[in-house]
Amino acid sequence: MNAVQVEVLLQTLISGILLGGLYALIGIGMTLIMGVMKIINLAHGELMMVGMYVAYVLFTFFHIDPYLAVFFAAPFLFFLGVLIQKFLITPVLKVDSILPENQVILTVGIGMVLANVVTMIFKSDYLSTPVDYATKAWYLTDYWRDAPIELSLSFAWSVSFLFAIFITIALWFFLSRTDMGKSIRATAQDNDAALLMGVNVGRMRMITFGLGSALVGAAGCLFIPMYYLYPSLGGQFTLIAFVITILGGLGSTVGAIIGGLILGVFESLTATYIGMGWAPVGRFAIFVAALVFLPGGVASLLRRQRLGK
Amino acid sequence: MKRLSIIFLLSFALSLFSTPLFAADTFDLSIPLPLTGSNAKFGEMEKNSYEIAAEEINAKGGVKGKKIILTFEDSQGKPDISRSVAEKLIDVKKQPIIIGEYSSSCSKAIAAVAEERKTPYLVVTGAADDITRQNYKYVFRLNPSSAYYSTGLISFFKQVVKPKTIAILYESSDFGTSGADDMEKQAGSFGAKVVLKEKYEKGAVDFKPILSQVKAKRPDVIYMVSYVMDASLLMKQIKELRIDAKLYAGGAAGFAIPEFIDNAKDAAEYVVTSTLWSPQVKYTGAKEFAEKYKTKYGDYPSYHGAEAYSALYVLKDALERAKNWTPNDIRDALAKTDIMTAFGPVKFEDKDGFQQQNFMDTLVLQVINGKHETIWPEKYASAKYVYPIPRWRDRR
Repeated sequence: MNAVQVEVLLQTLISGILLGGLYALIGIGMTLIMGVMKIINLAHGELMMVGMYVAYVLFTFFHIDPYLAVFFAAPFLFFLGVLIQKFLITPVLKVDSILPENQVILTVGIGMVLANVVTMIFKSDYLSTPVDYATKAWYLTDYWRDAPIELSLSFAWSVSFLFAIFITIALWFFLSRTDMGKSIRATAQDNDAALLMGVNVGRMRMITFGLGSALVGAAGCLFIPMYYLYPSLGGQFTLIAFVITILGGLGSTVGAIIGGLILGVFESLTATYIGMGWAPVGRFAIFVAALVFLPGGVASLLRRQRLGK
Repeated sequence: MKRLSIIFLLSFALSLFSTPLFAADTFDLSIPLPLTGSNAKFGEMEKNSYEIAAEEINAKGGVKGKKIILTFEDSQGKPDISRSVAEKLIDVKKQPIIIGEYSSSCSKAIAAVAEERKTPYLVVTGAADDITRQNYKYVFRLNPSSAYYSTGLISFFKQVVKPKTIAILYESSDFGTSGADDMEKQAGSFGAKVVLKEKYEKGAVDFKPILSQVKAKRPDVIYMVSYVMDASLLMKQIKELRIDAKLYAGGAAGFAIPEFIDNAKDAAEYVVTSTLWSPQVKYTGAKEFAEKYKTKYGDYPSYHGAEAYSALYVLKDALERAKNWTPNDIRDALAKTDIMTAFGPVKFEDKDGFQQQNFMDTLVLQVINGKHETIWPEKYASAKYVYPIPRWRDRR
């Protein structure tokens, strides 16, 4: 391997890890909802899209930086999620229907409604938030003049990555150290037992759906400085979240983080060494591989490790 | 009995009045366009331009005394929908001619329907080569095919840049593939070797993996065929990675519209792109159209607007010459078109394996001080080109 090849490989890994961190944040929201409610939320990408539009509106009309918009978009999405759970999903949960997973189908409908409402308000134009620091980056040769290779680290991508880590740590703290977090985990582990122990399961579900939405809304804000937005971008990210959820092991937060990173690095490597048009194929290859060879996802590996000790 | 005869008389009288009042005074034309979906930006611009043209034509008395009434059908940029729109217009509305649509895939779908139903179809912006290479009798194309999009750019390469190596990145759509293949074929003509040719899926977030491959190959020219958002993402990430090519070149579409500069900002500086038209070009009516568009919609139109605007004049000219307004007569009239429009001279020729294709000079734009300037051919230039361009490290 010569210097050029090393440079390509390292640069690819950097991109992959940065992308993976953001993927992880998208995946965590879905996996959290999956764990507590046992349903796949197929409106996940659309909720992210709503978060991006919140950031867009704040940037365009109030000149608020997309990173600060996280603090507006996340609460907004939290309430949106709570409302969806309370007035749409809970009533459907109670009804007996011929379809076994009618709540899942409901989330598809919610996603369509969100995408079309946004289309009505903003039209289907591509929009973007042209921030000043979009192309700012740090370069290895600026710090180490005689470096044999040149690597760059994008400012926006790094900040988004750090934000994602920070949000993940905050979430971990919330789930493991607070009463409410423990109640959510109890509900995820055993619905009936939690109910018997006096956990308000209905409320926990609302909070979980809100939390999941807030997380993906935040992910939307973190994406926007380096991406663009249009109403129908949700589907693409729902798929990514779905792959991560399966890869990480349904309902496992740590699994989702690892799953996100694996997917990000894998996609970047596919793009570099096989071809960029193949990146979506790689995504599904890994999805099928996870289903066949690792049905429990990364979480099952972690569990096995722990039992072995 | 008496009442019946009154009704009869009344309806007879009404029918006498109504025919000249409602039927004969207008020519209804429905135009399929992507008004929602990811190509809506272009659909909107073309819609505005058609409307400006219709207003002008109607203000001058219409076509043979008939006013053109435009309506638009939203195809969402999906070929299957544009196909059914075309079927509806021909079979149900009995429209004798179809014009419009934006993307190559949609234009291709309509072309097939039009040929089958023996109704003339004027392609306005779809550029993939094979649309006018299928021996269709009823399909005409106003815009140059994508093989000719880059003629201006290639002469700029030959005379100024003289690249030895070229890397090609393109979107995996009809337009992108066709543009990339043509550049690959023609690279030999200016002595360049294609060191990398890579496609990407539209909507990609991160181009850095593929761009770091490009960087490792150190090409003289990076040629990209993309729509607008991918175009600016590509340039932004090229800047981020400090890939120093001698020139960054775009194949029209996304690189040639003002949004490219708005989004890519300083990363757009010095990027050249081939284009078919610019507001400063010296064709009669071009400047007037551009100014009119700007006062009405706040921004200059790109070549897509000029194509749509001129398409309606081509239609007007053909309708005036057609004996009857039947599909066959209009087709014959279109085939004899030879007029000057704001978009340039229009004449449908059979040449180089194309049928009923309009051939014309294409231009090269460069982003200079945050504005698109025409730099090539030099007789149309509005500014002197900047070459060689500074390295990323030395900018600012």
